[in-house]
Amino acid sequence: MTPDEILEQLKQQFGDALAETEVKGTEVRLTTTPDRGREVCRHLRDLGFEYLNCVSGVDWLTHLEVVYDVSSLRHPNKAHVRVKVNRDNPAVQTVSDLWPAANWHERECYDLFGIRFDGHPDHRRILLPEDWVGYPLRKDYTDERMVPYTDYGMEEKVAKTEAAKGAPKETKAPAAAPPKPSTPAS
Amino acid sequence: MITFARLSEQFYALTAQWGIPWIVPTLVVMGIVVGVIVAYIAVAAMFLIWWERKISAHIQVRFGPMRVGGWHGWAQSIADGIKLLLKEDIIPARADKVVFVLAPMVVFAASLATYVTIPWAPGLIVKDLNIGLLYMVAISSLTVVGIVMAGWSSNNKYATLGAMRSAAQAVSYEVPLVLSLLGPVMLAGTMSMGQLVEAQGGTWFGFLPGWFVFPQAVAFLVYFVCALAECNRLPFDIPEAESELVAGFHVEYSGMRFAIFFLAEYANMVVVAAIATTLFLGGWRGPWLPIPGLPAEVSRGLFSLVWFQVKVYFLIFVMMWLRWTLNRLRVDQLMDFAWKILLPIAFANLIITGLVVTIWK
Amino acid sequence: MDTREAPIPVGTTVMMERTGETMEEMYVNMGPQHPSTHGVLRLMLKLDGEVMTDCIPYVGYLHRCHEKIAENRTYPQVVPYTDRLDYLASMSMNFGYVVAVERLMGQKVPERAEHMRVILAELQRIASHLLWLGTFGLDLGNFTIFIYCFREREMILDLFEAVSGQRLNYSFYRIGGMAFDFPDGWLDNCRAFLEWFKPRIPEYDALVTDNILFQKRLQGVGVLDAKRVVDWGLSGPMLRASGISYDLRRNDPYSIYDRFDFVVPVFDTCDVWARFLVRRQEMLESVKIIEQALDQLPAGEITAKMPKTIKPPAGQVYARTESPRGELGFYLVSDGSPKPYRYKVRSPAFCNLSALPEMMKGYLVADAVAILGSVDIVLGEIDR
Repeated sequence: MTPDEILEQLKQQFGDALAETEVKGTEVRLTTTPDRGREVCRHLRDLGFEYLNCVSGVDWLTHLEVVYDVSSLRHPNKAHVRVKVNRDNPAVQTVSDLWPAANWHERECYDLFGIRFDGHPDHRRILLPEDWVGYPLRKDYTDERMVPYTDYGMEEKVAKTEAAKGAPKETKAPAAAPPKPSTPAS
Repeated sequence: MITFARLSEQFYALTAQWGIPWIVPTLVVMGIVVGVIVAYIAVAAMFLIWWERKISAHIQVRFGPMRVGGWHGWAQSIADGIKLLLKEDIIPARADKVVFVLAPMVVFAASLATYVTIPWAPGLIVKDLNIGLLYMVAISSLTVVGIVMAGWSSNNKYATLGAMRSAAQAVSYEVPLVLSLLGPVMLAGTMSMGQLVEAQGGTWFGFLPGWFVFPQAVAFLVYFVCALAECNRLPFDIPEAESELVAGFHVEYSGMRFAIFFLAEYANMVVVAAIATTLFLGGWRGPWLPIPGLPAEVSRGLFSLVWFQVKVYFLIFVMMWLRWTLNRLRVDQLMDFAWKILLPIAFANLIITGLVVTIWK
Repeated sequence: MDTREAPIPVGTTVMMERTGETMEEMYVNMGPQHPSTHGVLRLMLKLDGEVMTDCIPYVGYLHRCHEKIAENRTYPQVVPYTDRLDYLASMSMNFGYVVAVERLMGQKVPERAEHMRVILAELQRIASHLLWLGTFGLDLGNFTIFIYCFREREMILDLFEAVSGQRLNYSFYRIGGMAFDFPDGWLDNCRAFLEWFKPRIPEYDALVTDNILFQKRLQGVGVLDAKRVVDWGLSGPMLRASGISYDLRRNDPYSIYDRFDFVVPVFDTCDVWARFLVRRQEMLESVKIIEQALDQLPAGEITAKMPKTIKPPAGQVYARTESPRGELGFYLVSDGSPKPYRYKVRSPAFCNLSALPEMMKGYLVADAVAILGSVDIVLGEIDR
């Protein structure tokens, strides 16, 4: 099945629940709501997407999002499902019974974003200690131990050299660590 | 013939003539014997530790100790020994102190006691018991007691489990070990260590030396494998392994006590190699040349002493070679191997040897 | 899975529990410091005598807020952080990241740079597998294979040091190309290394692969059949050891992997032994790929003309590459600014480790070390 056919079938099945659908290369992309999200995932799994690559969270300031990336080992198509959840009480249904791989991914999503996964068999933090307060990957997370990043005035330096030379310099912008360890970090 | 037995008899007679009660010369002789043996063990263990490091290094394409003492780091063991002596003596908080302290002594004493019946050279044997072999095997199994003591008294769950495993391993491998030793005993008709060597004179088919390894090759292999297990050497070193989950009976030991366990292990290696040499490789037998200026007996004795050491250390070299080449067996595979493979082979060897000996005689 | 009790706090020491269900059930804690766990991993094994009935991994001891940090760095500045993910396969981590950013930007990379990328990534694969083999043998009691593997790995590290100046965390890939070109004589040294390396595998075979003790430790242990492997999202050698022929370099090619002729090793006994054989064979296949890449290496630029500040257009991408441990995925969300809006690393060891309880159940405690070793975890990428 081509990605377009897959998208067609999903649209027939779910209609309005899908939004922002597109096909990019071999990937089917769509957005859906929390109450239909699990069904969409189940339908995808039945269409042959038996391999879950990744479950991530994204913080869009106005709302949170759970992103599922699934693929198949047999056909080259991929699917990218985004589920919008609201910030104050973020909750979706778990897919860890559809794809056991989601188990740890969802735990991580809960740990770092605070999104609840109803029905998850082992709903607890994974990377942070059990008694951690807060959800660090949210954009509004503050912690008095966090140190603001200073790029040591690199942007001003770059602007100055740009103005002086006139032409944009080659390649590397604020560069990564130079290979010789003796040179101080830029 | 000059033998240790005769010399000590003469010494006792002399002191009796002088009216000294019998206890004194006995203690003197015992003291000398213990001193010599402990000195030998100390030097041998130091040498073996250095040698092990060298062998492991060369198998692993590196050099090993090269600096301490100049030539190839020969003084490395001495340096390590001094370091261990200077370490803090740590006894775990709720350990059973008496048992904790005694455990390494028991293990060492059991190893030490077996040196009594090792035939170093013709006539040079502390006491040629007529049940010499039985005595050696029996006393060396006392190391299991020491190991269990160590594990139990450490007040550490891992140490206790490790000690239990070690005890199970030692006891399981004792059985095929003893059975494999009975083959040469049947051929020689005696359990006395001195006489076992005497019985290996002559030749097989006119050109092979009359050692028992030729008719008893299977028994030799079985014995060697069991000996590795008795010494807790790889591939049977579950009791000592750090990377296995259950770390081992000596996990709470440090400093000199730890060193005594390892001294005992090397002493044990020498003993099992000595038993193998005596029973299978002809003991101290080997070609000798008369040294001018010394009576023939003495020069034969000296050469025999050297031959014995050569054979013993060759077997130890093979043990070390195996350690650095093979990996560990899993505990249940170890037990399987002892009971289901080695034991039937040892039995078969015993039966066949018995039949052959009966028919021959 | 619902029978799992509340997690046992980290401070708990020796625990012996008779739950009354079976004769004797015991919890044994392995790690986070232990000679055989490869990194700071804590495993809680639930034992019934010698048999493991459950295994609860605790991760997060090496969590360094990698994803949050990346949100505050420009795209090129993230490259050194990706090194520290899987520090034993830094080139592969760099590779995965720059492929993701380039896919987001639609950036083309010069041919020479592509070939350089493949050569270095495959050398890194060999180095990573060598380290895995050495430590795996060490866990099982074979000390010699460790030294032999590290001897070869040192040669690879010397090559990497010549090209990037670093022995471990190279930060060598750049968005749009590479940092520097090969120094003089590097290509000859690389070929000389490959010639040296090819007879090494038979040498390791003589020491471990053909050793019946080694085989007995590994065969039939840690079995995970094909269906469960797919369900649990395992990737890389774990997948190929269960009979599934899926390699991202072949099935979803990135960079120029579709130009090279190599075999994807697949074994179907699904146990630790199969994983061992897969990784061993992969080393040989990597040698083939490097040779082809060296033969085809064109002259030219090593980096494309990139703008001063890299600002990918707003959008999202999930790009996956085959690291030595499996499928390394980078999920990037860009909002048009020079810094990533969301940066997520899908690490192969994280997913492989999540299936560890499945692999451990029903086997003996003595197999725990072998099974854990066969997963080839690096805590840096699990915890990020």
